[in-house]
Amino acid sequence: MADPQLRHDDTPSSDLARAGSWKLVFPVLRLVAVFMLTLAGAVLAIQLLLWASPGDPVDLVPNGEEIRAQLEAEWGLDRSLPERYVQFLGRALRGDLGSSLTYRPGATVTELILPAAGRSLRLLIPALLLSMGLGLGLGLLTAGRSSVVRRLAQVVSVAPVFLLAFVAVHLLNELAFYGMEAGWFGRPGWFALPDTDSAMKSSLAILVLAVGSGALAEVHAAVEDEVVRLRNATFVDAAVARGAPVWKHVLWNLLPPLATIAYGRAAFFVGGLVIVEKVLHLNGAGSMLWQACRLRDYPVALGITVLAAAAVCGARLLGDLVRISVDPRLREVAQ
Amino acid sequence: MVTARRTSPRASTVRRRATSLPSILLLASLTLAALPAQGQGLRYAEDQAPGIVNPVFTTTMPEARLNELVFEGLYTDNQNLASVPCLAESSELSADRTALTVKLRSDVTWHDGTPFTSADVVYTIEAMKNKGTLSTEKGRVAWIQKAEALDDHTVLLQFERAEARPEDKLLFKVLPAHKFSGPAIKRTDPFRNEPVGTGPYRFARYNDDNSISLESHADHRDAVSIHEIVMREVSDKNYQAKLLLYESLEALVRVLPRDLAVLQNNRKVDLYPYQTNSWWYLGFNLERDPWREPAVREAIGHLVDVEALLAPIGTGDTLTGPYVKSSPYYNHDVPSWDYSTSRAASLLESAGYAQDGGQWSRDGEPLTLNITAHQTLESSQEVVINLQSQLQSAGFDVQVEFLDEAAWKARIWREHDYDLVLSQWTFDRNEDIRDQFHSEGARNFCSYGNEQVDELLNKARDTTDPHEKKAALREVHRLVHADTPMIFLWTLDSYAALSTRVGSVVIHPFYFFTFVHDWRME
Repeated sequence: MADPQLRHDDTPSSDLARAGSWKLVFPVLRLVAVFMLTLAGAVLAIQLLLWASPGDPVDLVPNGEEIRAQLEAEWGLDRSLPERYVQFLGRALRGDLGSSLTYRPGATVTELILPAAGRSLRLLIPALLLSMGLGLGLGLLTAGRSSVVRRLAQVVSVAPVFLLAFVAVHLLNELAFYGMEAGWFGRPGWFALPDTDSAMKSSLAILVLAVGSGALAEVHAAVEDEVVRLRNATFVDAAVARGAPVWKHVLWNLLPPLATIAYGRAAFFVGGLVIVEKVLHLNGAGSMLWQACRLRDYPVALGITVLAAAAVCGARLLGDLVRISVDPRLREVAQ
Repeated sequence: MVTARRTSPRASTVRRRATSLPSILLLASLTLAALPAQGQGLRYAEDQAPGIVNPVFTTTMPEARLNELVFEGLYTDNQNLASVPCLAESSELSADRTALTVKLRSDVTWHDGTPFTSADVVYTIEAMKNKGTLSTEKGRVAWIQKAEALDDHTVLLQFERAEARPEDKLLFKVLPAHKFSGPAIKRTDPFRNEPVGTGPYRFARYNDDNSISLESHADHRDAVSIHEIVMREVSDKNYQAKLLLYESLEALVRVLPRDLAVLQNNRKVDLYPYQTNSWWYLGFNLERDPWREPAVREAIGHLVDVEALLAPIGTGDTLTGPYVKSSPYYNHDVPSWDYSTSRAASLLESAGYAQDGGQWSRDGEPLTLNITAHQTLESSQEVVINLQSQLQSAGFDVQVEFLDEAAWKARIWREHDYDLVLSQWTFDRNEDIRDQFHSEGARNFCSYGNEQVDELLNKARDTTDPHEKKAALREVHRLVHADTPMIFLWTLDSYAALSTRVGSVVIHPFYFFTFVHDWRME
């Protein structure tokens, strides 16, 4: 059996965590390099996908065929895929993500995606925190014993986010509708979902993202395992013997695995966001990406992809920093 | 063992304290749910909000309906669908019918307060004709040779040829010359997000949820009683009727057939039937074998049970040609294809096909057919699946596919890579089918060509005699039916649904909102 004291550093993405505080330069540089390569890879992947999909933005311009050559030259579509790729990266490094072609013709990608990303972040961050919080709470509640709550959480969590969102919207609407028809209450401010923008709709999106597609189940299971391990840990017994509060030790020691899960789930959350925003009619970066792909608006789709990749890589960096700051043993191991 | 399960008092303490965190987060998020109710006004649903608002670039019905609220033309329709002056006050046609002098109203202002003048009319026509303006609406002014401002409120329009009723063609929307800097109009002009018209509603804003808010134009000569209209984007058509029942919308432009019964029985909703100039068709790719062979096309015509395809998706009239039955150009003498497997079999045999084990084949090659439909065409899935079943049971190897807009344009329009498409055409009351059936028509993606049809279409375009036009187009109907570049299916009965809070409703079959100034709302 592995030494439980060394369990936190066995994940593949803990370069930063393995380093000492003064020896961080190389791992940070390496992380930045990985970050840049990931972004470049994401851009390449989405360019390949858009290139391979049938139709192009000129097809969506009324009478576009009459001026195909002119538009292709203007939009750079007459160049080969590698040329387009290099050109996009070059411009992106200068902060120029280009202009929208078909989604909002003429608007710059930056002015379109930054507000949308802001709206999406207002869902993503609370969803991530709620997922961690719910998983933590349920994990502590059910650790070490057979529980219906655990099974229920797993069943609900295994449902994909689109299904959860759809069922939740339908149920809430029907309940509210029958309640109003029966005269039990007046029209709620959020009614009817998802057409009416409200805090309820945002809360629902956050809840669905936090629970669905296995998010809650993963955190829950990890917390349960960790709590069981901690209960048997000698340092916890020592703390009890000293009369120190146990819960502080447990929670503090749960932070590193939670951080690992959080940044591991970041990519799933970003992916789930596209679906949730679409189902709940939320106008964030996810639904904009959907529309941009549908309308073959390459610059907007690429801009959002870069932003999403940056968010995922940023989450990973943040996760590593949390782990290293919480657990001094990780620094000692590296030194 | 680290996996041992036991509980202890300290673990219970940990659980109690830690579970409070998610509970607080959940409660906090849900208590934020109470929001004030929405503002008053009329909210209607569209599948997709337009990316830009500029009538010169209209390609979809949602855009056409929005334009009707914000912009106006020189002429418009009255409730009998006859042309009546709108921005025009009166007009006088020259004796040879090649010029029209239009006197404009002097009491019209643009939404930004600028007076409307003849310069705006001249600019709109010239800009639409300009090669740099990639307008889908060019055809609406192509017949005008020249526009000239005689004074601030008089315009002289000179035509390419004599016109019978030019007022019927002066329905295109007029744009404000002072909002554009060059002779050509571009999709990327700032006008796209800050449109200015003379219509009863002015563009207020694009909202974060992709909806578009319009407010009544205070200086408009016809005061409206509904002061705000919101176009909501509800991409899921199946959900639009629900939102009307939930009173989250006041108007549905078109009700899905399956929602009719529910809405009909709801005391808060009124249904309004209206007739559109829309028809469905199955179009062959005449550039590809074996669909270039008339016998094979006709055989399929005999194998498609049109009534059986129509029944699951609604009610309507089955058709034999490219007009709706109420059209003066519909040729009622043309018989429909009778459903006959024996007739189809003899036609296929005459084309060299033989049936082996229930499957038609020729020279060892099975008769395969790929049916392509647009993803957003309402009820297309039911139709395509039933059609697939009908043709498979008749001995065809049938595949189906659904394409999004870009793929549709690329595959069908640009590459002509298809066998049979299921689609629909919608026309305004001019019912001009030239683009679809003239050998040089811009929308003739079936590659149909018949010299006689071309001549008749030219004749219908050029004549000033309405009887001659009617006779020519009825003959086109007959010829097109006989050539079978398409199997004409049906026109669907359309119903709009509006909340009972909206009264005095009259609906225009194409533009929907033309008579909105008469509408009232509690």
